[in-house]
Amino acid sequence: MNATVEGVLSANARLTGEIDVLKAELDGFTYSVSHDLRAPVRAVLGFARVVADDHGSALDEEGRRLLAVVQSEASRMGDMIDALLALSRIGREAMAYLPVDMAGLVYEVVAERAVQEQSLFDVGDLPGVCGDRVLLRQVWANLLSNAVKFSSRTPTPQLRVWATRDAARVIYHVGDNGVGFDMKCADKLFGVFQTLHRRARFPGTGAVLAMVKRIVHRHGGTVWADAQLDVGATFSFALPDEGTQ
Amino acid sequence: MTDFDDIEILLVEDNHNDAEMTMRALRKGNFLSKPSWLKDGVEVPEFVRCEGPFESRNPQQLPKLVLLDQKMPRLDGLNVLRELKGSDRTCAIPVVAMTSLNQERDLTETYRLGVNGCVTKPVQFRSFVEAVALIGMFWLCVNQVPAE
Repeated sequence: MNATVEGVLSANARLTGEIDVLKAELDGFTYSVSHDLRAPVRAVLGFARVVADDHGSALDEEGRRLLAVVQSEASRMGDMIDALLALSRIGREAMAYLPVDMAGLVYEVVAERAVQEQSLFDVGDLPGVCGDRVLLRQVWANLLSNAVKFSSRTPTPQLRVWATRDAARVIYHVGDNGVGFDMKCADKLFGVFQTLHRRARFPGTGAVLAMVKRIVHRHGGTVWADAQLDVGATFSFALPDEGTQ
Repeated sequence: MTDFDDIEILLVEDNHNDAEMTMRALRKGNFLSKPSWLKDGVEVPEFVRCEGPFESRNPQQLPKLVLLDQKMPRLDGLNVLRELKGSDRTCAIPVVAMTSLNQERDLTETYRLGVNGCVTKPVQFRSFVEAVALIGMFWLCVNQVPAE
């Protein structure tokens, strides 16, 4: 009996180790591919710009339009590559595990944004957790900028940040009264490069929430969202409640 | 070799496209004299000592700024840096490392060897031009080096 349990445990430990190795390899791969892709994209953008600046007058209107398409798509590719790099970095960097004042982090992030946006935030009591301050700051920055962005077309945007608790977790919420999304697409939301709204309305690479998910998972937590189209969205993440002492 | 005289900026870059972009960016930043461009780190020691293909260069003319790519096939940025900073004659020449991406471990070593600045080449051309102009402005117009 004991031998069986030990066998299962050691197999489990071995598999976990293998998964960690594979994850590290995948992050390394993502990093080096996106790193190497930067140089050619930089050249495409640079030379397209030279054509536009120095030879733009030799092109007719249609030629200039087509060139602008090349520039904007190459620029988007550059942003996507940088987003991939940022994502791979989350998995690669060593994580500090210290008490973090979550309320302080939120105020820091809010203060960084324009003052007129600050008045929109209603921040409730936020208990602290243990985790990596830099990464958790990124979570707040991404969720808050996401909320600001998707409520930017609402006449009176209202953003709310609050926390709840259950048996073993602290759950943080960021709510907005923006465009929301159809819950049928909820499973796509945290995927890399997934955008549920037309880019022309809400520009972005679709990596903001993927970053949030990776960071929260690295902290042993979970993340999810509730929303209703044209009414608003609430993003929540739960972290293990181990106190901050 | 008159091309290499009267120089202010020495660009060491193996990627032709990046070199062309950098030279354009310098021009856009109003640094009008053409930088001297070396395509591999191995040429740098010969260049500053006026040896080999640079024999006819004026030995009094040292560059006022070196823009140094990090990854080069024969002699990479770190070794060029070691060479330049290791000699009294060239140690005060500001060297700015141009990296494709900031990899922390590499950067620590780069700073240990005495680099004057490290810049990640931005993907967006506008940011690239801004970065190069700022580098040129500071190191050529603001920074002070020992009198010869």
